[in-house]
Amino acid sequence: MRIVRFASWICAVAIVLLMAGAGVVARADAAPSASAAELKDAAAKAPTTATQAAGDPGATITGTVNDVPVSDAKAGLTLSDVANQVGQNKIGINFTWTLITGFLVMFMQAGFAMVEAGLCRVKNANHTYMMNFFVYGCGLFAYWIIGFAIQMGGAAGNGNLGGLQPLNSEHTLSMFGKTWGLFGQTGMFLSGHTYDVGVMVLFLFQMVFMDTALTIVTGACAERWKFLTFAVSSVLMGAFTYPLFANWAWGGGWLSQLGTNLGLGKGYCDFAGSGVVHAVGGLTALAVALIIGPRIGKFNRDGSSNAIIGHDISAVLIGCFILAFGWFGFNPGSTLGASGAGCLRISSVAVNTMLAGCTGTFGALLYMWSLKGKPDASMSGNGLLAGLVAITAPSGFVNTTGAAIIGFIAGVLVCFSVSFVENTLKVDDPVGAISVHGTCGLWGVLSVGLFADGTSNYGGAWNGVTGSVTGLFYGDASQLVAQLVGIATLVGFVFSFSFVLNWILDIVVGQRVSTATEVAGLDLPEMGQLGYPEFVFAPEPDYLRAAEKVALA
Amino acid sequence: MAATTSQGRTFTIFMAGLTVAAAGLAYVGSAGGKVALVLGVVIIAYSCTGFIKIKPLEGVTAVGAQPAVMKLAGVGIVLLGWLIVLFGLNLTPSVTGRMITTLLGLAVSLVGVLLVLPMASNKNAIWKA
Repeated sequence: MRIVRFASWICAVAIVLLMAGAGVVARADAAPSASAAELKDAAAKAPTTATQAAGDPGATITGTVNDVPVSDAKAGLTLSDVANQVGQNKIGINFTWTLITGFLVMFMQAGFAMVEAGLCRVKNANHTYMMNFFVYGCGLFAYWIIGFAIQMGGAAGNGNLGGLQPLNSEHTLSMFGKTWGLFGQTGMFLSGHTYDVGVMVLFLFQMVFMDTALTIVTGACAERWKFLTFAVSSVLMGAFTYPLFANWAWGGGWLSQLGTNLGLGKGYCDFAGSGVVHAVGGLTALAVALIIGPRIGKFNRDGSSNAIIGHDISAVLIGCFILAFGWFGFNPGSTLGASGAGCLRISSVAVNTMLAGCTGTFGALLYMWSLKGKPDASMSGNGLLAGLVAITAPSGFVNTTGAAIIGFIAGVLVCFSVSFVENTLKVDDPVGAISVHGTCGLWGVLSVGLFADGTSNYGGAWNGVTGSVTGLFYGDASQLVAQLVGIATLVGFVFSFSFVLNWILDIVVGQRVSTATEVAGLDLPEMGQLGYPEFVFAPEPDYLRAAEKVALA
Repeated sequence: MAATTSQGRTFTIFMAGLTVAAAGLAYVGSAGGKVALVLGVVIIAYSCTGFIKIKPLEGVTAVGAQPAVMKLAGVGIVLLGWLIVLFGLNLTPSVTGRMITTLLGLAVSLVGVLLVLPMASNKNAIWKA
């Protein structure tokens, strides 16, 4: 009897346990979590292949739950699959955005080539075009082998591009109780861990920026720069000069740390490179132009200057339009993404870019028309570029009113600067590159410290300092100091570094072509063929021919 | 002289040297990297001797001699201004103080860029002759 009673107990417990287990299963079947149920429901309602075979003119059945990859076919679609797809979509959007804007910036090389060649005489057209063509290769190669590593080797942490964790080594220096970044150390040849999809996106985008800086120099030194020296100088600039300053500003270097280390605003802020790209290019152009000297006939014995007219103003203006188009890659692309971390501000950045270009054109055109009597075409083009250069640094931090003011001031400033460089410094700059990129680049850097309105929010912080970049006019004077330190570094370090580097090149290689080559035009002696072989060249003005005779004698 | 095959060859050697040196630097932790670095530097030095050798073939250029001392002084002044800025940042924690030292340093640098170096560049300019 006791055995029967014991057996009954065992059976009862077993039945209870079984029932409990069944209950759990039953509850799971009967009441699954809402999200899992929704996933199943969505999968069940998804259009079949037969439905899709009928076509989708209304775009209502293309791109459904069926397109989300399933990691485990047995388990079916899970929340984890959906979350991973969302994350990859965000990074995919950012990759696509950054790459396409990088392609736009790359196309700016064509604009630079047209502007520079158009402003040169016809006998130097091939040489000027070739410098703009070959600078792309020189810069790209140098940047791949070492430049990118110096600039971005320690720039890990950008969430827009997936973290960029392979770029994790910045060489630092401890001074005054603080640690300061000096240069990056990973990414040479994009080898090792930097063989990474995110790093490749960053490389492409940063490379075309670097090449923009390099091509600025060719304009200021056109019509007299030896092609060999230009090539060596460009390689060294792409390998060292540009990457070093770019690291300090964008790669986690000491200028970007002025906020965290010294409490100066959000550190040096240069959204898309008025300083990093344009001022570096413009100041290097000034350094080389000082060494290389003016073209024959540019200045008279009394120091007055002669106009040496370019051969194709239509190429100049079309080139300016190409550059303005490319600038929509330059500035909005500098968010490094279109999804997350405040990146939707790309619309504001793009409009600021348009506006500053517009007001820059007005500034230069009205200045020339009012004071010189004609709405000068080349200066109007330079006004457009000046506005675009100036808005490059503040484009991500200012409102449209600020952008319009910044652009207008740049348009007027470029006219003053061209005159100052030519008539006071006695530096010959055939295309106005020193003024457009150097002067207006510095103005752009300064304007961040004045006009940044404190509304941007790129993930809640900039350069590691919480909050939004705010300039003097909106209450933060310390940001202006950070910008001035950046300007002082551009003038004090970048200019001297470029000057010494190119001085050494002058000693070793020689910067300038021979007088005979210069008089003949650089196309045949340097490049082996004329830019326009079927053109009948108009004779040069008397003052130029006289100066050439004197130089040859 | 203009462009010649010698220039093309020397530039090729320079690029090869730079590439080998950079490869050495990339793998400087290994013995092969160190060898490549030294080899690259040697190749670059060799290319520089080539540049110096072919430089006189260029002939007379239309640029006057620029006094080296004046150029050095100019670069020195520019750098001095930058150093004033750097050390000025640590002299005082106040924003106004830092702004003053930064502007002072910038002004010194600009003297070098806009006054001394253009003077050096134009001292013996051929257009003055």
